[in-house]
Amino acid sequence: MSFLKPKTHIEQGDIVILYLSVNSMHAIEAVPTIVNKKGETIAHIFQTPYGSLKVQSIIGVEYGSRVELSKGYAHVLQPNPELWTQTLPHRTQIIYTPDISMILHQLEVRPGAVVVESGTGSGSLSHYFLRALKPTGHLHTFDFHEARADQARDEFKRHGLADFVTVYHRDVCNLGFTSELDGVADAVFLDLPAPDLAVPHAFKALKLSGGRFCSFSPCIEQSQRCINVLTKLGFNEICSMEVLQQESVIKTRSFPVIDLEFLKAPKSSEPNANDDSKTKEPKELKKYLTSSNPQVLPGHTGFLTFATLPPNVPKA
Amino acid sequence: MAIIQLGDYIVIQRQKYTKLQKFGSLDATATLGKEHLELKSLLDQPYGSTFKMCVKESKAGKRGAQRQHSLELCTENELRSIRDVLNISSSGADNRDISDNGEAQSLKSSDIEQMREECNESSKIIEKLVENSKTFHNRTEYSQDKYLLKKEKKYFEFVQIRQPTIRLMADIFHRQDPDKIMGIRVDTLSQIISYSGISGFGNYLLYESGTNGLLPAAMLNSMGAGTEATLVHMHPGNVPQKQALLALKLPFEQQQRCISVNLYSVLREFYQGDKPEATKSSGDEEKVEAVTETEVTAEEQSEGFEPSSKKVKLESPNSNKAHQRWQVENKRAAALMNEKFDSLVMAAKEHPSSILQALLPLVKPSRPVVIFGTCKELLQEIYMDLKTTGKVTNLHLTSNWMRTYQILPNRTHPEVNMSGNSGYLLTGYTLK
Repeated sequence: MSFLKPKTHIEQGDIVILYLSVNSMHAIEAVPTIVNKKGETIAHIFQTPYGSLKVQSIIGVEYGSRVELSKGYAHVLQPNPELWTQTLPHRTQIIYTPDISMILHQLEVRPGAVVVESGTGSGSLSHYFLRALKPTGHLHTFDFHEARADQARDEFKRHGLADFVTVYHRDVCNLGFTSELDGVADAVFLDLPAPDLAVPHAFKALKLSGGRFCSFSPCIEQSQRCINVLTKLGFNEICSMEVLQQESVIKTRSFPVIDLEFLKAPKSSEPNANDDSKTKEPKELKKYLTSSNPQVLPGHTGFLTFATLPPNVPKA
Repeated sequence: MAIIQLGDYIVIQRQKYTKLQKFGSLDATATLGKEHLELKSLLDQPYGSTFKMCVKESKAGKRGAQRQHSLELCTENELRSIRDVLNISSSGADNRDISDNGEAQSLKSSDIEQMREECNESSKIIEKLVENSKTFHNRTEYSQDKYLLKKEKKYFEFVQIRQPTIRLMADIFHRQDPDKIMGIRVDTLSQIISYSGISGFGNYLLYESGTNGLLPAAMLNSMGAGTEATLVHMHPGNVPQKQALLALKLPFEQQQRCISVNLYSVLREFYQGDKPEATKSSGDEEKVEAVTETEVTAEEQSEGFEPSSKKVKLESPNSNKAHQRWQVENKRAAALMNEKFDSLVMAAKEHPSSILQALLPLVKPSRPVVIFGTCKELLQEIYMDLKTTGKVTNLHLTSNWMRTYQILPNRTHPEVNMSGNSGYLLTGYTLK
């Protein structure tokens, strides 16, 4: 239930982020016992590189606290869409925070908005939509993979978000978003292999007073075909972009400064004694707080195509 | 669809150009380049409507004619593709026969100016330009398109009136003068909203030293109407910059959930609010108020804080109501500060360290902290400080790269220009 609103203490059943380091965090469910593969109920023990955590011990603990592991410690954080995106069980490729933030901004999602999403995938973006539109809006999310739709539905329920979302198992490219959703959406988001096939359905789902559209696609050909259909249907403000986030690596570094000036003077008469003292002198070190770019960083995620359906475009 | 009313802020769009304008009175005019538009016919029309600019008079100005236009509501089908209107059929294969000798257009600029005043339709002007161009039909189809687009941009006679949203305003502000919003680019703005976790639940803290109201407006927009979320908006001046907030025209209850307070006076209220002086004020209000007022003036001057003291002096003759308002807001803010916040956002023009030091203890554990900075060096220092003290974890210092694309059949490429400066974000989560 820990996704609904900010809370201070861990309750039984919460999803909790166990934070070990920047590169190591885990989403765990705060339940004292779990059922193992043999069907036996056993104590919930979570294994980490710093030893094990008896999960029962964190129930009732304040979020943000340090918890002891058998060979170290970790922190417990309340999950949110950012942390969830980094820890969720991947069922598909997912979209990350920089692209998602732009999607939410461009689709103008705010509390009360009705959003249609396809596909649901691993639910990474869905959690962001839900945070942005609750408590008064609604998300209709579609996936053509039955097991994925079921898993997502179950997950939203466990996260306390079930009231704000309807998960559909449906092939929207062929079947559309159901006639109940005609003219109800403020925004439609597509992440599909052939977005152009679903654009006419998106057109139908958007309100008569207009709305915003977004398609995310890794390849530019998909965007091209999508824009082609958008233009024909009367969408405007069509705009495609790429957003990439760059992380800075911050380090305090020391640099030895070598002296080259003494080379200008001839060697002195007692070479050995003098040279020794020179090399044994501690070298000068200069300390800087530096930032550099990582060796490898994401070079491409996808093309984001946005468009506006202006008001009063006839839909017949 | 909402209706355009007096007092509204409106977004005027002419092709890709957009502008935020206050529709303050029926005499109000808007200036788009050399064109002056009378706004009175917008009243009571729905947002999203398109209007035709009709020339009323034309005055010779320093740089060409300044034209005054009235606006007439028009229907969407008056807007058609210029290529269809002109019915252009023939085009060349390449540009081997085209040279830039200034003789291609046989109309003189005075002829064109005259045409512009006499005729209201850009398509007619462009038709004449095309007719009198010796080379137009030798150009390639793509080059013709480009020519038509360029001419259409110049002579386009339609404007659309739109309701301001965060998306439209972020674009306008950043295009007009990024410095006025501290250079917060759209991608960075969108990430501030994400990382800070602003939503319909919780109490949020913002310190911002001048973004034309864009940051508080974006946060309030994400908190939503009819929700329980509250924002305490701290600013260094006496009066917060609020243009973007006002432009959103939020319902009163939502506006009430943005508590804008001066950083100095609210911290004083927070630390010293329950001192005997404050309790006395309830007994003999006017007298004590006058005392605290001069006290504030003096103290803030000693802090080298001019704008506030000036304003307080100005207000003092009829200050009773105004005075109480900021005191009430300070009290409301201080109450929330005691309860602590669900996230902290900072965008400071000042050195952020001391501000962060004052505000970080007001944030609950396991909550996001987002600090925006225009330069990296200051954030690097804070990164190290926070890392050393261990008060904030999962620290990341990031910037963004954003590029838009022209996607047209056979003509797809990145736009020629891109913004090279997104600003920097330092993000993390508080620990107990």
